[in-house]
Amino acid sequence: MSTEKLKETIQKVFPDVECVICWQEGFDKLHTTPLFITTPDQTEKVVWNLLCVQNLAAYLPSLKKKIAVVVKGCDSRTIVQFMQEGLIDRSNVVVIGIPCRGVVSVKKVLAAVGQQPIEDVKVSDGNIIVKTPKGEKTLAIADVSPGKCKTCQYPTPVIYDFLVGEPIESDKPAASVYDDVREFEKLSLAERKAYFEKEFGKCIRCYACRNACPMCVCQDSCIAETRDPHWITQKMTPEEKMMFHMIHSVHLAGRCVECGECERVCPMDIPVAKLKKKINSAMKELFDYVPGVNPDDKPPMYTFNVDEVKIKEHKL
Amino acid sequence: MSDVAPKELRIVGFLCNWCSYGGADTAGVSRFKQPTDLRVIRVPCSGRVDPLFVVRALIQGADGVLVSGCHPRDCHYSDGNFYARRRLEMLKQLLPFVGIDERRFHYTWVSASEGQKWQQVVTNFTKQVHELGPLHEKKEKTV
Amino acid sequence: MADTGFLPKEKIKEFLEALSKDTVVYVPTKEGETAAFKVYSPDAEICLDRPANIPPKSVIYPQCETLLSFEYKKTDPDDPKKMAVEVRAETNYPKAVIFGCRPCDAKGFAIYDRVFLDTDTADPYYREHREKTTIISLACEAPFAGCFCVAVGGGPADTAGSDVLMTEVDKGYYLEALTEKGRAALSVPVIEDGASYKAAAEKIKTEARAKVKNPFPADATEKVSPKLFDTDEFWQQVTNKCVSCGACTYLCPTCYCFNITDEQALSKGERIRTWDACMFRHFTLEASGHNPRPTKSRRFRNRVGHKFSYYPEKYNGAIACCGCGRCIRYCPVSVDISEVVGYLKDPKQDPATWVATNTKAVKDGSL
Repeated sequence: MSTEKLKETIQKVFPDVECVICWQEGFDKLHTTPLFITTPDQTEKVVWNLLCVQNLAAYLPSLKKKIAVVVKGCDSRTIVQFMQEGLIDRSNVVVIGIPCRGVVSVKKVLAAVGQQPIEDVKVSDGNIIVKTPKGEKTLAIADVSPGKCKTCQYPTPVIYDFLVGEPIESDKPAASVYDDVREFEKLSLAERKAYFEKEFGKCIRCYACRNACPMCVCQDSCIAETRDPHWITQKMTPEEKMMFHMIHSVHLAGRCVECGECERVCPMDIPVAKLKKKINSAMKELFDYVPGVNPDDKPPMYTFNVDEVKIKEHKL
Repeated sequence: MSDVAPKELRIVGFLCNWCSYGGADTAGVSRFKQPTDLRVIRVPCSGRVDPLFVVRALIQGADGVLVSGCHPRDCHYSDGNFYARRRLEMLKQLLPFVGIDERRFHYTWVSASEGQKWQQVVTNFTKQVHELGPLHEKKEKTV
Repeated sequence: MADTGFLPKEKIKEFLEALSKDTVVYVPTKEGETAAFKVYSPDAEICLDRPANIPPKSVIYPQCETLLSFEYKKTDPDDPKKMAVEVRAETNYPKAVIFGCRPCDAKGFAIYDRVFLDTDTADPYYREHREKTTIISLACEAPFAGCFCVAVGGGPADTAGSDVLMTEVDKGYYLEALTEKGRAALSVPVIEDGASYKAAAEKIKTEARAKVKNPFPADATEKVSPKLFDTDEFWQQVTNKCVSCGACTYLCPTCYCFNITDEQALSKGERIRTWDACMFRHFTLEASGHNPRPTKSRRFRNRVGHKFSYYPEKYNGAIACCGCGRCIRYCPVSVDISEVVGYLKDPKQDPATWVATNTKAVKDGSL
């Protein structure tokens, strides 16, 4: 049983590190929450299931001591990207990789049960059975999984010191990763503008997306909030909100590992990851670059080629 | 908007100090006629141009943005424009995704002696932006 | 004017239309799966079956409020350097109604009242909004995920801060006016006589209250334990997972910290007051560069301290938390404030034991 193997691995790793970051049960049956194990008997609380949605690698740049972290495939790309950018000391991190067949989106489950409080959750045969005061509902996991799982290319972590379980091959076509971008581009220019104006109009500038993002390491001195330089004000106008999201997305150009945390944490259900996916698809097309896969890669915005094969001079 | 002549649109230009600003100067000295919509901001190098400058300008009221630098391989700082080329190409693909016509943003390479090319760039780009029309509805500018 | 009334379900829109004639009516409106308070329009999808994602805080206490606007003007054609400043401050806000918020949302305004109004320097902006807004709250039939209103002096049918309390009964809503403004709202013609629904409403309220769980121990102390409160390792352990965003504070009906900034372009500008969040690193960052609360453990300690210790001390035991549970539901990593306060109010809690059991008792406990 994966959870048992995970606990064993954690017990094995624990003497060498100050802390192991993994997941435990959250405030209700549908939520897990990060667990920072600092004493061995806390290992009892460890869980591993398809509710383990948080990207635990996000904590690494701000931690100074030797840490072990449990990562899914998508989370492991974060670690590789950190290595490309020199944001962590690899020798200070013990990576416990765990192959993953997909998680569920808590938002999608709650939408399917009318936002009712959750009494119990069971998983069986590709279904998640959710009990609320209004009754029991059986949902196909495929219907409530987040977009990123439906096109996952890295079910097995791309980097690890220990692997808990057998490696899994991806059964999703690589070409499908940016299907959502292509789908959106079928809309007219005016429709796209209206879409983003409406969605970002909901934004409350809580910065949950920015702070949950593993790559946003300068979140404490973010230019979205500085007075000098004064990029944007704190006014709640559509222009300022749009500008914040453009700042966030453009600063992630060629760095976003598509972990999906930004969209998961938005309290106003804004499709925050859309812009980043578009930029990533441009990075793939222009520079044949996929973030967070090869530690020796250089992020495309950090480097250049004297001759850019895919960039032609624009003529007026 | 009171500081733009009635028939003009607001077009912002980021010109690198060495080649493009010089090229614009050459065009001026040669008395070439060109539309006056463009407002020039001089930067040391096209590599100084953060793609967010362009975004900010377009969101804040500009109808078009032009960036011009030295030709690749001729950057005064060796490689600034190589970085610029990558960033600005990324931006060129991102703008239409958020509903801004990518023809409102143009980046090009004009050297200090290319006064004629500069005149053509400004004339054609201004024409292109006028064809697209204003990006923002006319309104009293608030802070 | 009546003290009670009945609003049939099929007449809700008619009631809102009637109110909209001379007030701006805010209702919880669904956009996709998000519910937020928007100005009522006939095609709005009104969401009354669950609390909105974000409370109606902004109606009375806007996220961005212009305190004054200013303009520098030249006064002397012979002396171009001479400038005068014209300053304008207006509080001509329209009358408003908040319809369909929950008692926990309304309790937030009761908490703000003490801070913004019960003082020698009452806030004129807040006062004007507050006096001009009528709040019609909807009592809860059952708790929502993370709710713990009964543990903090509230309840699913609490009346603090509201002008009218609505309780859903068969075929409609039983309405009780709590203030003069409330009575005025009930005088709208579509409201029927409510007396016969009172008993049914009381039953629902009592049943609802029994359903809400109290997350604190049964023998919870009234005040938070000062010893555990002052134990650094405790805060470090509970905040390890926090990402220091502002979701909990911005969604909280009782948070009210703000920032005042001047935004100026050329000669015109505005002084704006905007929500601030004690979770942000720069919340206490001073101009010198010193930051009294540089770590998230210090900041979260302040948040809990303010709500459960400092505010109650100042205001006769009133807790500055309404138990709505939003901070728990929407936290990116599910930090649970009720769990943390549960530890702090547990009389059996010994800091040394807690630290030894839950964290490595290292001198420098930070990771």
